[in-house]
Amino acid sequence: MSILRTAISQALLVCVVLVLWEGCVDLLDVSPDKLPAPSVILATIWSDRSALASAVATTLYEAIIGLLAAILVGVLSGIAFFRWRLLERMFLPYFVGSQAVPIIAFGAIMIMWFGNGIASKAVIAFYLSFFPIAVNTLAGIRTVDDGEIGLLRSFGAKPRKILLKLQLPAALPSIFTAVRLGASLALVGAIVGEWFGAARGIGVVLLTAMFDYRIPQLWAAIVLIGLTGAALFGVVASIQKKIAWWQTEA
Amino acid sequence: MNPKIRVKNVSKQYDIDGKSIRTLDNVNLSVESGEFVTLVGPSGCGKSTLFNILAGLVAPGNNAELFIDGELRPADHLLGQVAFMPQRDMLMPWRTVLDNAIVAAEIDGMAKRVAREQARQSIDRFGLRGFEGHYPNQLSGGMRQRVALMRTFMFDRDIMLLDEPFGALDALTRTLMQRWLLEVWEGAKRTVLFITHDIDEAIYLGDRVMVMSARPGHIKFEERVPLPRPRSPDVVTRSEFIDLKRRLLSVIEDESLKAFAAMNEPTSNPSI
Repeated sequence: MSILRTAISQALLVCVVLVLWEGCVDLLDVSPDKLPAPSVILATIWSDRSALASAVATTLYEAIIGLLAAILVGVLSGIAFFRWRLLERMFLPYFVGSQAVPIIAFGAIMIMWFGNGIASKAVIAFYLSFFPIAVNTLAGIRTVDDGEIGLLRSFGAKPRKILLKLQLPAALPSIFTAVRLGASLALVGAIVGEWFGAARGIGVVLLTAMFDYRIPQLWAAIVLIGLTGAALFGVVASIQKKIAWWQTEA
Repeated sequence: MNPKIRVKNVSKQYDIDGKSIRTLDNVNLSVESGEFVTLVGPSGCGKSTLFNILAGLVAPGNNAELFIDGELRPADHLLGQVAFMPQRDMLMPWRTVLDNAIVAAEIDGMAKRVAREQARQSIDRFGLRGFEGHYPNQLSGGMRQRVALMRTFMFDRDIMLLDEPFGALDALTRTLMQRWLLEVWEGAKRTVLFITHDIDEAIYLGDRVMVMSARPGHIKFEERVPLPRPRSPDVVTRSEFIDLKRRLLSVIEDESLKAFAAMNEPTSNPSI
């Protein structure tokens, strides 16, 4: 009941904002070049729907490939850092350092190395999202205290079993927190990648609309990027609710 | 017959901030097969350290000797040989009651399906029928403790180490759990070593009560409980119970005072 009421009131807020936006643009006679009315943006999205849908699909695909790779590599390197302290000491400072380097600086290189197709964008999406996942995996594994490990050892469990039965499950909530963040970052990565060179994708739509000064198209791209990001986040959050729903106990 | 478990000369010291703190000093004890021994002592006397040693988690001192069924065993031999229940229930929040109960059996190599089936059969005994699919965060403290006990019982070993399993429960739940534990134990006849702070609990449950000294801990006093089994709850009013309680109280009070004094004078020599 209260969930439904929350949803309704949230939807209502969006409607009010849209109506106000529409009304202001109308009453104050704002030029569509400055700020198009929501109805204009929606009409643009509708008329370009098939091109925009395929652009969103391309970008989403790049982001998801990058994110999945980041989850795989991030979780595995988190585990490796945990198992081998030396690896953590060797690699982690460089990983942290690499995060300080803006990906923009490497964008052009990525396109030269991986082409102007999907691969280069997926690599950038991966680069942005993998670090938080690796760090949170490590941190999550370390939330398990010695007492809990001791209990499993007393049952005869070896380190591998302790990792699989205790430490990794215990790390899931914090891994998911990072994946939620990583989902947003991966989308940013894919779009920025497209700006450096791509034939397709919502980033391309955004850029060409900007250069051609087609403001309604620009806004259409912005709205779609926002919705895509929200949807991606929502999907990750609902998976988290299914498989890592518990609160980490202090 | 050889005692089920016997330890000789167990000593332990920790180095904290360069200072060496002796927690156990020459502990010697033995527990007969099928016996229920309770261990009381002031806080910080090293009871839990002793349990960690008996569970194989912590190495005993250099001169220590551990015998299981009369045979000398290396300390790490105890890993996987003793059903250990620590103070905290340590249930896994992502596992249901049933799946928490089978953790130990599962690690021991039992197939999940078989373990679950076994757990379903004994769930009544632990008063958890109807809660098989619940998660720990949906349970009361008493129920969580029963799940932890069930996990310990399902790890099918002759020796059980229970470290203050009812310490965090309210008085009423605690009494019920004690009665219930005796019933379960009488049905399963395991060798039990049980730590508690509560003298009544120690007498009510135990065949024998041991008192540990203040740090560095050693077995200061032990006495057989002269009460027949099965014990009804009103056994606590019998004169044998009260006499034993009086003797235990005087020993424990001495030790508690020492522990208290040591706690309040951090500069004093910890090995008084």
